[in-house]
Amino acid sequence: MTIQMFEKPLGMRDDFPSIVKRKSKLSKVGIKIMELFGYEMLQTPSLEYYETIGKISAIADNQLFKLLDNQGQTLVLRPDMTSPIARVAASKLLKEKMPVRLGYYSNVFRAQLREGGRPAEFEQMGVELIGDESLYADAEVILLATEILRGLNVESGRIVIGHTQLLQQVLRGYGLDAALAEKLRAEMVAKNKVAYENMVDNLVDDAAAKNSLKLIMNTTRLEDWEQWIDQSDAVQQSLYEDMRKLKTLLDRNGLADFVTYDLSFTSHMTYYTGMVFEIYGEGSGFPLGNGGRYDGLMKQFGLHVGATGFGLRVDRLLEAMPAEQENAKQTLILFNEENEENAHTEANKLRAAGERVTLQFAPAVKAQEEFSSLFSKVVRMDGEENG
Amino acid sequence: MDKLTIAMPKGRIFEEAYELLVKAGFDLPEELDDSRKLIVEAPNEGFRFILSKPMDVPVYVEHGVADIGIAGKDVMLEQARDIHELLDLEISRCYIATAGLPDTKMDEMTPRIATKYPEIASQFFRSRGEQVEIIELNGSIELAPMIGLAERIVDIVSTGKTLKENGLVEYDKITDITSRLIANPVSYRLKQTRIDEIVERLRK
Repeated sequence: MTIQMFEKPLGMRDDFPSIVKRKSKLSKVGIKIMELFGYEMLQTPSLEYYETIGKISAIADNQLFKLLDNQGQTLVLRPDMTSPIARVAASKLLKEKMPVRLGYYSNVFRAQLREGGRPAEFEQMGVELIGDESLYADAEVILLATEILRGLNVESGRIVIGHTQLLQQVLRGYGLDAALAEKLRAEMVAKNKVAYENMVDNLVDDAAAKNSLKLIMNTTRLEDWEQWIDQSDAVQQSLYEDMRKLKTLLDRNGLADFVTYDLSFTSHMTYYTGMVFEIYGEGSGFPLGNGGRYDGLMKQFGLHVGATGFGLRVDRLLEAMPAEQENAKQTLILFNEENEENAHTEANKLRAAGERVTLQFAPAVKAQEEFSSLFSKVVRMDGEENG
Repeated sequence: MDKLTIAMPKGRIFEEAYELLVKAGFDLPEELDDSRKLIVEAPNEGFRFILSKPMDVPVYVEHGVADIGIAGKDVMLEQARDIHELLDLEISRCYIATAGLPDTKMDEMTPRIATKYPEIASQFFRSRGEQVEIIELNGSIELAPMIGLAERIVDIVSTGKTLKENGLVEYDKITDITSRLIANPVSYRLKQTRIDEIVERLRK
């Protein structure tokens, strides 16, 4: 019985040669830029313990691929790269080298619950800067991410920046307890302005407070944020001051027109503790990547240091990258038994000169005309005429 | 000006949505829905309308082939897609309810529920701790209790006329439904000024 041709586990894909080629180019560009910024590439295992990485990763439990090892331990296929890298950084080996700059280009696995169109395995590339709590570290990873986009010729990107801690403080400032503030934040995560406004109407009586709470979801410039900053609160003041410095730094690097500062922008990932951002580009209907400060994650590994970073989705970068004319030259040598030795000599000669050569025993090809048409040059060494 | 692609539901919601846009002062061609065309341009505003099945509007928007769209909350509850929900347009008001033949009790073991909204129905009965079997249908849901396929249905009710005509009564109201203006997360960020302006004009 022949196996059904398209049978693959849900969400798994084959990458055909043209995609593989583009991906390898993309990874080369990305890794080179990460290295230029002083990041060292790291690889971690595909399988991790469910108890550590599985639970810490902040990817929903039902999106994890779980399996048992031969000792009965539950394992997961790594659902993200941030938590494994945090685990490595917390190990003795790297603890002494803080701040440490690590980069990755890896596949991650997230089981798909709906429709077949979404990949359950995809590549991500990104960096983690661990052991630096300053805004300069935050600025560095944003600049690095935009540099990669530039290197890939992704046009007209946009970055949206928010601040998890500042948002929490601002919401609490309205006299809302932690649970209610979290409910409001959840609607922001869901991008549901309608539900958010309805909830504000139900929670707050004062008309002025109602109004200003609603306006949080309309902020686009950092100056907009100022009206929510409590001038008597030193923590809020210093967080806002950091954001201003961050903006100055980004502006100076030519990003003034590309950044939206949205105080209501936040993430479902609860380990983010400070600045959070997401990157968008023309050509893909989905965000290209995201990142932010996640000091909370490091704490779970017993390390009280700051950490910040980002991850970019390779499949979406491919959509946003301009299509290139693929005209790599490929030569075909068709040979028969008689000319076999000459054909090998000829092929080796051309390959030594950097030419891509496919060496093919002619009688093995059924449709010679169609097959030959796939090549930019055909050399007949099978006793037939070129033509 | 960049073209803005708007996914519009065909049929019932369309009329009201179109009227709303015209009332907000948008300069649209006289009759958008009269032809069998699936794509209609409104050159004066730089809009391109995609006319689709109501259930498909959030799909187009989530994938970014439409920047914004008008969709019923029922569809969004059913599909839980990653989109911005920007404004309650307060049109096509109706609600989702359970209904069945009058004076009937649900089977104690596993009552059968016929619906176009399996996700909403399943969530509702789950929240009440009731074990049910969901039967997904694509239309004429009212038939199910009449011919003994299911004991209850979960469906949209706007006037209650259809239920009445088929001898059914409403049992539980699940949630209110109106149409919403939704946006693709990337489009919303890349074209935020323009989309926010549309929201403000429709809000008035």
